[in-house]
Amino acid sequence: MSGLAFGRRHAALPRARLAGAVLLLLLLGFGLLGPWLIEADPARQDLTASLAPPGARFLLGADHLGRSMLARLAHAVRLSFLLSGLTVAAAGLLGTVLGLLAAWEGGWLDRGLSLLADTVLALPGLLLVLLVIAFAPGQILPLACGIALALWVEFFRVTRAQARSLLARPHVEAARLLGFGRAYILRHLILPELAPILLTLAGFGIGGVILTIATLSFISIGLRPPTAELGGMTSEMLPYLAEAPFQALLPSLFVALAVLACHLLAGGRPR
Amino acid sequence: MRRRRLPALAAACLAPTPRPGVAQAVTGAAAGAVDERVLRIVAPVEIGGLDPARGGFIFTRMGVVETLLAADAEGRPVPVLAERWSVDAAGLEWRFTLRPGLRFHDGSAVTPEAAVASLRRALADATALARAPLAALDATGRDVVIRLARPFSILLAVLANYGSGILAPAAYDAAGHVQAVIGTGPYRVVSITAPMRLEVERFESWWGPRPEITRAVYLVAGQGEARAAMAESGQADLVFGLHPVTMARLRRNPALEVRTVAIPRTRILKLNLASAFFGSLPERQALDLAIDRQGIAAALLRNPALAATQLLPPMTGDWHLADLPPPGRDLPRARALLASAGWTPGSDGILRDRQGRRFRVVLTTYSTWPELPAIATALQAQFREIGVDVDVSIGNTSDIPRLHRDGTLELGLMSRNYALVPDPLGTILTDFAQGGSDWGAMNWTDPQLAAALARLEAAAAPEERRALAQRASAILHEQLPVIPIAWSELAVAIGRRVAHVAIDPFETSYRLPDMRWREP
Amino acid sequence: MRRNAWRVLRPLLSRLGQAGLVALLVGCIGFALMHALPGDQAFRLAAERYGPDMVDARAAAAMRAELGLDRPLAVQLLEWLGRVLRLDLGRSLVTGEPVIEELRVQIGYTALLAGTALPLSALIGLPLGIVAGLWRGRWPDHAVLGLSVLLRAVPAYALGLALMVLLSVRLRWLPPGGFEGWAELVLPSLTLALGLAAVSSRVARESVAAVAASPVLVFARWKGLSERDAVRRHGLRNAAIPVLAVLGLQLIGLVEGILIVETLFGWPGIGHALVHAIFARDVPLVQGSALIMGLGVVLLNAAVDFACLLIDPRRGRQEA
Repeated sequence: MSGLAFGRRHAALPRARLAGAVLLLLLLGFGLLGPWLIEADPARQDLTASLAPPGARFLLGADHLGRSMLARLAHAVRLSFLLSGLTVAAAGLLGTVLGLLAAWEGGWLDRGLSLLADTVLALPGLLLVLLVIAFAPGQILPLACGIALALWVEFFRVTRAQARSLLARPHVEAARLLGFGRAYILRHLILPELAPILLTLAGFGIGGVILTIATLSFISIGLRPPTAELGGMTSEMLPYLAEAPFQALLPSLFVALAVLACHLLAGGRPR
Repeated sequence: MRRRRLPALAAACLAPTPRPGVAQAVTGAAAGAVDERVLRIVAPVEIGGLDPARGGFIFTRMGVVETLLAADAEGRPVPVLAERWSVDAAGLEWRFTLRPGLRFHDGSAVTPEAAVASLRRALADATALARAPLAALDATGRDVVIRLARPFSILLAVLANYGSGILAPAAYDAAGHVQAVIGTGPYRVVSITAPMRLEVERFESWWGPRPEITRAVYLVAGQGEARAAMAESGQADLVFGLHPVTMARLRRNPALEVRTVAIPRTRILKLNLASAFFGSLPERQALDLAIDRQGIAAALLRNPALAATQLLPPMTGDWHLADLPPPGRDLPRARALLASAGWTPGSDGILRDRQGRRFRVVLTTYSTWPELPAIATALQAQFREIGVDVDVSIGNTSDIPRLHRDGTLELGLMSRNYALVPDPLGTILTDFAQGGSDWGAMNWTDPQLAAALARLEAAAAPEERRALAQRASAILHEQLPVIPIAWSELAVAIGRRVAHVAIDPFETSYRLPDMRWREP
Repeated sequence: MRRNAWRVLRPLLSRLGQAGLVALLVGCIGFALMHALPGDQAFRLAAERYGPDMVDARAAAAMRAELGLDRPLAVQLLEWLGRVLRLDLGRSLVTGEPVIEELRVQIGYTALLAGTALPLSALIGLPLGIVAGLWRGRWPDHAVLGLSVLLRAVPAYALGLALMVLLSVRLRWLPPGGFEGWAELVLPSLTLALGLAAVSSRVARESVAAVAASPVLVFARWKGLSERDAVRRHGLRNAAIPVLAVLGLQLIGLVEGILIVETLFGWPGIGHALVHAIFARDVPLVQGSALIMGLGVVLLNAAVDFACLLIDPRRGRQEA
């Protein structure tokens, strides 16, 4: 019995969802258009302008190496959303396909996959991520793979549970008995019911991945410099909190906004 | 403030056995009014193990383990367990006479045989002592006698290294592993929660004057912000490993004193001279000229005086070249030098040689020292300006030695301690003689430097030693087998409870016995 | 009566079987991954054992010879499995101490931290969730929702640092680090608890909201119980089951949180040890701590199963 089942019983707060959607659009717009509109090079340094306050030259101030915070944030937002989107897509696809397979086939396949899921669940997720990242430190793909490897279980469990109850419903059973193909049943009877729940999970997932990357860079695992990425910037700027609170808090603010937008859009419900 | 101990509670249901490393049966525990104040030292370095040969520097720093002799702030030898020493005319036979009446923490007497046994173990491990040309090691009467195969001028410095610490015979188990740290120092181990915490108490039968501080705790806090907070909240009396930025903040705190001491540690760029990029001197000089040392020192280290003019900082005395101009950045000259070496800018601004190969190198560094990744990022941008494309790879501390061994390292940014033994020669010898080493030059040899170092190793008069050291430093400065970036300082936040704090630039001891409580 | 006992025992036994299998898999995966990693293991170990200034090829060679790292992988794996069956987890490659000894100390600290954080999170999250559920759609509901979303949008380490700056540097109420007394326990467990409460308050709210609108409570009110009694007698009991079930899932979040919170506050627990062991390639310690953590999750989930069974015996009957 998951919390999701309860979420559907009362209407989600439409205003909160709207706010989430607007916030997300604003962030995505900043990430997509920002790097294109802002001319400053996010890697360009000026050590004499280290931690320069916001002003005419640096609209949002400069970081410790004298780089434009505005340019770096725009690139970081784009990369963070890309990375988390990619990760969630991979995890979602894997989890959903395996979940459907387990629910449909049942038997040993179901038991095997469920055991695998339980095993992954019993492992600390960070352990998996750390291990996969260790193969190629600083690269984007292993980072996404590692996180996806820990994330798919959630999609698997929800898909399997929902699909099992859907498959047991009279109209689905009738369709199966009448000889409708698997593809038809999946497309017309199962997926439409699953989609909202999966989208909710994906929303939380994207927020979660951004947080995970921020957490990883806190234990000095991140992308290679000078890549601008929200999580990495958060921990990189942390020591300068007392001296330049504005610049130091900006990346954290963006992380919080991104996660907030995803959560609001996903309905603010627990997973 | 009374503190109840958590570990007992935490592990109560798990029936803990007493940890090894606790020496209990010592008489003379102070009765009556006990000073309950505990000195708290917080640092980032974890307790790696009990063996002095392996990460045992914590025990030397905390005054648990002692060596035959130590070094003062200028690096001169001072007696510790050995009250005096002598050497024969050929400089081959050294005789160290132990102080009379020395006791280990378990009450047993310190014999020359026990000292020899500990030194033998150090010889067998990857310690500083193992590099010395020892021919024989014996105990006779009250003396430890060391016979050398050839004169070795830094023997005393090597013996002062923590790896040459002396433990009681009972400290080792049957297989020769250290099972308990039973030393001779002013403090003995009360408990060890490896790798995070070490508690010591005053050893009442120590040979020296009775210290005032009765109890001290060494506590590891890996995160710089957590360490700073521990200093600011008054939880810690001494906090080491301060981030340059937090240092500025702590300085403004009236309840704290922040003291910095120059230490013989330099952040350097290690270059693989066998690679296609750094084989010729103009290429190395161009990189040298492209670095904005003042900018790095001011913005990232918060002390412009740390910009390195040369490899060894002023505090190394004989090894420091006076009258060198401050390091300057000269991009036009750097570009000209690269052009002379056959590198011309391509359409993307990155240099190419005559075969069309791009000047693209991987810079390997690690985050054990938190400033290194930031310096690497700064260097990346500065080298980009002369058309050198640098890919920064941040990994484990061991990556540079490993890549050195398999020969694939291109550039390495690292922090090198030139006082592993209190004489810089000890480290310089391993790093630059015989074609370099893991933390030194790579595929570089200079016969003149090798000759000067060999002469220094074989001992000489002080004036000659100075001339030789200056000669060696000049060669390193001209040939640039490694490129110095910035010197280092050791920053300590001192709480207002303690007085008489002395900071050891060689990081061998916290000097606990000298400290006093400041009376309220 | 005996059949009744079997109903209780069966799910627990199946959890037990699962525990064994999970543990075995955890060990094998850890082993395979650690050995496939790039980077010479001996160098990593030497860096950890000899310290950053002394690690070099000599130290690495000494490590390699001493630890027998050059034996075939299959031999090393079989050896490990054999020893696990005898409850011997081997010795840490870095410190040379028996892994079981190191873990025993660390589990104590982690259990203490988790054992404080879980009740604390219940103490914070449940009342907030119940209030929000009873006043659903009104301002307490919105306030709790906002708080919960905000807490979940902040990384655990940032939350911990904020608490550290506020409670120990500014107000000087609590020590920011160390692990010597009860005072040091407050900050890490509060950090952990706040993150958990952000989730549990939402679950409690949904659950209470659902039960409040359900026929059971309507009937209770109809039969004349006061609002307070109705909630206490019927509402809470029915709402507790999903809360407990989600608590089981939360334990996984707890494990993640422990890794970060222990690293931040320098708490010498199993999460801190695991992170370090991975960096140092200390395979026995990685396996040992992953094994213990995996078993811990399964065990606590079994406890949750059992608690659900106690509260709602119908579930046991349905499943049997």
